[in-house]
Amino acid sequence: MNSPPETPSAAERPAITDAELLTAHINGDPHAFSEIVKRHRDRMWAVALRTLGDPDEAADAVQDAFVSAYRKASTFRGEAAVTTWLHRIVVNACLDRMRRKSVRPVADDELIEAAERETPLPDQTVEREVSMEVSAALKLLPTDQRAALVLVDMMGYSVEDAAQVLQVPSGTVKSRCARGRAKLAPILSHLRNRSDLNRVSSAKGAELRDG
Amino acid sequence: MTGDTHYDLEILAELAEGLLDVDTARRVREHLAVCDPCGELLADLAAVREVLAATPTPAMPMGVALRIDKALAAEAEFRRGGVGLVEAPDWDELMRDAPWERPVEVAAEAAPEPVRLGVVSDDGTIVPAKPSRRRRWAMPAIAAAAAVAVVGTAVASTGLLASGGGSSGVDVMAGGVTETSVVPSTPAKVPTMARSYGLTDSGHNYSDQDLRQPLEGMFGFQRMVGGGSDDDGKVDKCVKRVSSRSKLPAYAVDQGQYNGQEALVVASWKDKASQRLRIDIVDPFNCKNLRKPTLGRW
Repeated sequence: MNSPPETPSAAERPAITDAELLTAHINGDPHAFSEIVKRHRDRMWAVALRTLGDPDEAADAVQDAFVSAYRKASTFRGEAAVTTWLHRIVVNACLDRMRRKSVRPVADDELIEAAERETPLPDQTVEREVSMEVSAALKLLPTDQRAALVLVDMMGYSVEDAAQVLQVPSGTVKSRCARGRAKLAPILSHLRNRSDLNRVSSAKGAELRDG
Repeated sequence: MTGDTHYDLEILAELAEGLLDVDTARRVREHLAVCDPCGELLADLAAVREVLAATPTPAMPMGVALRIDKALAAEAEFRRGGVGLVEAPDWDELMRDAPWERPVEVAAEAAPEPVRLGVVSDDGTIVPAKPSRRRRWAMPAIAAAAAVAVVGTAVASTGLLASGGGSSGVDVMAGGVTETSVVPSTPAKVPTMARSYGLTDSGHNYSDQDLRQPLEGMFGFQRMVGGGSDDDGKVDKCVKRVSSRSKLPAYAVDQGQYNGQEALVVASWKDKASQRLRIDIVDPFNCKNLRKPTLGRW
């Protein structure tokens, strides 16, 4: 399934939609699904990595999710966007993983240990430091709040899109975000005035979302 | 609300998200206008959003992408209906933690369903199998042993699917009852004279290095021996001793050497699903362990 980077379907028909690809996959096109994977894997990875906070777990979750999507393609209903559907499968795979792992509060020393394991690379120290702190802080949140914050605040999805992915009302997404932010505020407040965060662009999320 | 005058972060976060009712929202805003500490908290909340948005979201690492490609290729192979023996997917590994598969179903999923006896050729098509010498040889020891030895038990399948096939591009496909038939019956169910394990006599001088290799390559292809000679009785005595120690039924036994010393290599399934074997190496006279039992693969 490791199709060459410039397959005809990618190069000559760039306008083909996800839904068309999915239909092609259902009809037996052996390359259609890998094109879908190629288009969305980075986003799915980001969601899983941030939701689970652990690269190994995230890799398992994304793999589970894509295999599941591959099999369940025919159950896709056209009402939602393919991306929403894929996100839902990934998020559910992550939540499932978190539920099955014994959920226990993470002790401070574990956070520090985890932080120490991630040795910062010399040239990206600041980014990694922030990323690490955010990862550790997110792990302190209940899973539903974490999933909501990852989609809305980190990935830049609208509350409505996140609600569709999570299959809960918009109001629920808002209140999960609110409670999650309230818990994170004391932990992350020291990052507030860092100059390297002033170049924050909410466009990043939108760019990720829209491909 | 904390105390009488300040609001806590949760209320402030709800205000920011527009979740408070009109009256409460008005009161909180009036308070914010005059309370610096609460204003600070609100700024902290805004900072959370910014920090989260600014956290880099890395691209999927190449290794993960390749892994997913591989899993999907296996899935595609499965969908095509081929069993893909040439590059048999490790189903147990792939499905290990899949949330939609429960352990029991994994086995069902892993066994390629209604398999007709046939040969998968290079292009994935299936042609009728002709019984051949090769197939006979490719049969793992126990299947052959069971067919010969287990009286009154219908055992006809090979464990090829589990054992991963041979070296050529063409492999025999057989199945349906693979999972159950390869596992030797428990000694209690086996007639007293019958052996429940495959016995070979390779004479191979095993090293620790060998034990880390898939054992099938070592004695899966050896000619079966046995027939109730005196030697066999001794072997059987030792195998029984090993089984009672390990609490596992022996699967295959090879007579050879271990680091130059005469030895019986007794392999018992520890975990059939993941092809893990316990390997006991004992001397054939006193049945004493020549080394610590180890874990190996078939």
